[in-house]
Amino acid sequence: MPDSTGDSKTAFQVALTPSGRQGQVPRGANLLNAARQLGVELESICGGRQTCFKCQVAVEEGRFPKLGLTSRADHLTPLTPQEETYFAEHNITGRRLACACQVQGDLLIAVPEESQARKQIIAKAATERAIQVDPAVRQVYVEVRQPSLEEVRGDWERLAEALGEQWDLHDLSIDGRALPALQSALRQGGFAVTVSLWQDREVLRVQPGYAEGVYGLAVDIGSTTVVAHLCDLRTGEVLATQAAMNPQVRYGEDLMSRVSYAMSEPQGLARLHRAVILTLNELAEKAAASAGVSTEDVLDAVVVGNTVMHHIFLGINPVELGGAPFALAVDSPLDLRARDLGLSFNPAARLHLLPIIAGHVGADNVAVQLAEEPYAQDETMLIVDVGTNAEIVLGDRERVLVASSPTGPAFEGAQISHGQRAAPGAVERVRIDPQTLEPFIKVIGYPDWIAPGSVDLPEPAKATGICGSGIIEAVAELYLAGLINADGRFERSAAEVSPRLLLSGRTAEYLLADADQTATGSPIVITQNDVRAIQLAKAALYAGIKLLMAARGVERVDRVVLAGAFGSFISPYHAMVLGLIPDCELEHVYAVGNAAGDGARIALLNRRQREKASWLARWAEHVQMPLEASFQEEFVAALALPHARDPFPHLADSLPEASEERKARPRHRIREKYNKA
Amino acid sequence: MSDEIDITQLSTQELLELIQDDLYDGLAEQVTASVRELLKRGLTPYDVLTKGLVAGMEIVGVDFRDGILFVPEVLMAAKAMKAGMVILRPLLAETGAPQIGTMVIGTVKGDIHDIGKNLVAMMMEGAGFNVFNLGINVDADTFMNAIREHKPDILGMSALLTTTMPYMGVVIETLREQGIRNQIIVLVGGAPLNDAFAEEIGADSYCRDAAIAVETAKKLIAIKRGEKV
Repeated sequence: MPDSTGDSKTAFQVALTPSGRQGQVPRGANLLNAARQLGVELESICGGRQTCFKCQVAVEEGRFPKLGLTSRADHLTPLTPQEETYFAEHNITGRRLACACQVQGDLLIAVPEESQARKQIIAKAATERAIQVDPAVRQVYVEVRQPSLEEVRGDWERLAEALGEQWDLHDLSIDGRALPALQSALRQGGFAVTVSLWQDREVLRVQPGYAEGVYGLAVDIGSTTVVAHLCDLRTGEVLATQAAMNPQVRYGEDLMSRVSYAMSEPQGLARLHRAVILTLNELAEKAAASAGVSTEDVLDAVVVGNTVMHHIFLGINPVELGGAPFALAVDSPLDLRARDLGLSFNPAARLHLLPIIAGHVGADNVAVQLAEEPYAQDETMLIVDVGTNAEIVLGDRERVLVASSPTGPAFEGAQISHGQRAAPGAVERVRIDPQTLEPFIKVIGYPDWIAPGSVDLPEPAKATGICGSGIIEAVAELYLAGLINADGRFERSAAEVSPRLLLSGRTAEYLLADADQTATGSPIVITQNDVRAIQLAKAALYAGIKLLMAARGVERVDRVVLAGAFGSFISPYHAMVLGLIPDCELEHVYAVGNAAGDGARIALLNRRQREKASWLARWAEHVQMPLEASFQEEFVAALALPHARDPFPHLADSLPEASEERKARPRHRIREKYNKA
Repeated sequence: MSDEIDITQLSTQELLELIQDDLYDGLAEQVTASVRELLKRGLTPYDVLTKGLVAGMEIVGVDFRDGILFVPEVLMAAKAMKAGMVILRPLLAETGAPQIGTMVIGTVKGDIHDIGKNLVAMMMEGAGFNVFNLGINVDADTFMNAIREHKPDILGMSALLTTTMPYMGVVIETLREQGIRNQIIVLVGGAPLNDAFAEEIGADSYCRDAAIAVETAKKLIAIKRGEKV
């Protein structure tokens, strides 16, 4: 790698995390301005006068091959006296004020959440589900016989005896970390104590007298978002929910690039592991603080995640998951001690990991199934969790089949020319008037629809790009408006009637937002390649669904559940028009939000559900997608909108007629000549 | 559009153009009928191949590259081409017609993505290449055995994962160790790749899509055979 601080260089690479924005910045540029130019707005009340101290950032040091840069703290000008004073007074290290420093080398800058002017929207909140509360950790109050000169047994033995007599609890053990506090608790409570027990087998904590309050954490480690629900293990109530970006994003956007990072960087795995543990500790702290409890009282946790997240969380190198045959280090459920992974809950806190089904179908999928219970349905239920790898579950009482299908990152806005993640500024909804062919768009962070041709929009209404749900609606609407045909090709002839259709090369593109409607000042368009990327992604998903349907021997599904944060934002109608999901009664297509987090919560609050999960992981049948002989055929048929063969009776009234142009290929000189003759 | 066309009434030039049209529309039966008719008129199998089928697939390739055609249409065209080749292949061998080229292709070890690689294989066949498709999850030994057996001009490797693409470098290194790296043109492709990666592992070229793979293969073979490009 060339020396990135070479005196001769006039510009440097600056990348920002977690936004993923990156670009060239001239030498000497003020970091606050540079970030703004790259599209990252930092909080600043004083406007760059080094007085409000809101624009704090941190330099991520190290070599980042993925970003093509080596970042160092001294790639910024030295600390100013104002910074030195403030950081010393507040006991802060490793931070800089963006407004106080100039760029003089390549940099990766971490923007803490509190410094972001427009904070990430994470639409994950625990839904109210009826869960029978039967937690793995519970508290019991017990009175213990006092010691005497005749009574030679230890305090623990007498406590165990009392638990046997008063609670019928036998063969108990005690966590080593609970022992030191035992004697003082007994004496402080006058030989009456409250004992926290795990699975009625192990004592985790002894508190003097009568005590109440034992909490647990249900965690879903998603590849982009980590969500933690703090629950009262006695009432089952969710006391607080906290979410954060997965800090591993800076080492690789998608799962496979994180596996690559762990493979190729000597410290890679350790960094990925530490980052997620740190985030979990922070989330626990925040959740506890907002609920007014202490993390000392967190005694149990359930963690779910996809297979790569699961392995990294455990400190297991995910290298084997990087390629076929995708061998797992372990797929059974695990009961561990939270402290062994560096989680700073109560020192004796337990940790449960739900089982894994297969190389690409992880504990998060098991959790989704606990929440949605496909195995308890009379009808055929289809669950789709859309992400870079879509997980598909098709099930009913008799059988549950699961698969993962390689959809690629297009649904997350990658591979789309103006694609971006779902964040403020992203176009999330699109309507195209079928008569005028003009677009109406909705931008995240602004409440109103924006009509075509709107001028003088307020800043939050200005689009920065288009996110997954936006591109899905856009392509479906383009098709409904007749601007693209069922093959996905732009109808160039429409350019004659609509100035929105811009001819480009031998195809065309659609002008979704004018230059003066965007934050960047350049127009946002949907290109032919964007449509193709969405076709490829949706075909992979649909083909996977079809193969499961064939394996189960069903022609149709009764219910379609859209899981995951992304599922909450997709319009079921547009997903069906696109052929992302099979035909179904539209009212029976619905989003369930973060079902994986809900499933983790169910397993946290009910230990029988942990057994159910263990059974399910063995019982569910895994189908390896690309190895199925008919996958390619199904995939190709699913590229058309909504599908080349399959009927969509529930859309019968809204789909456009197959145009004549579709039948008439651009090339049939001889037949035409012959027919004319 | 009428399919009722009396091909015996068309001139040979028109018939060649009709083959191109019918390939474009993926009409296998019509293509085979025209191939038979042209052979009956005494055209050499090589001329039918190059002026009819290959010329037609070239148009398909260009329209695929330009976004006008997409995977399903290209596959239909490739199927029609294959139908024509069933007739031509034995005749080409008999007449000792010049070889356009031979390719061995596979998705590398650890990777089970099939479709993009199959599309390249079909487009290469469409361009008249003799293609040996080794499938998915192919290790270096399997590649070497196929290379020894088929003596291809081109080795094509595909990978769709950042975790599996480094294996392409392993295969190229094996070619070097066996002293046959210079005898073969190595083309690589797959979503996470780029030119820089191809260069880093010592491949001859990265090909963004199937149409570009065909163009690159033809160009590099011509250079290797000392032809003018």
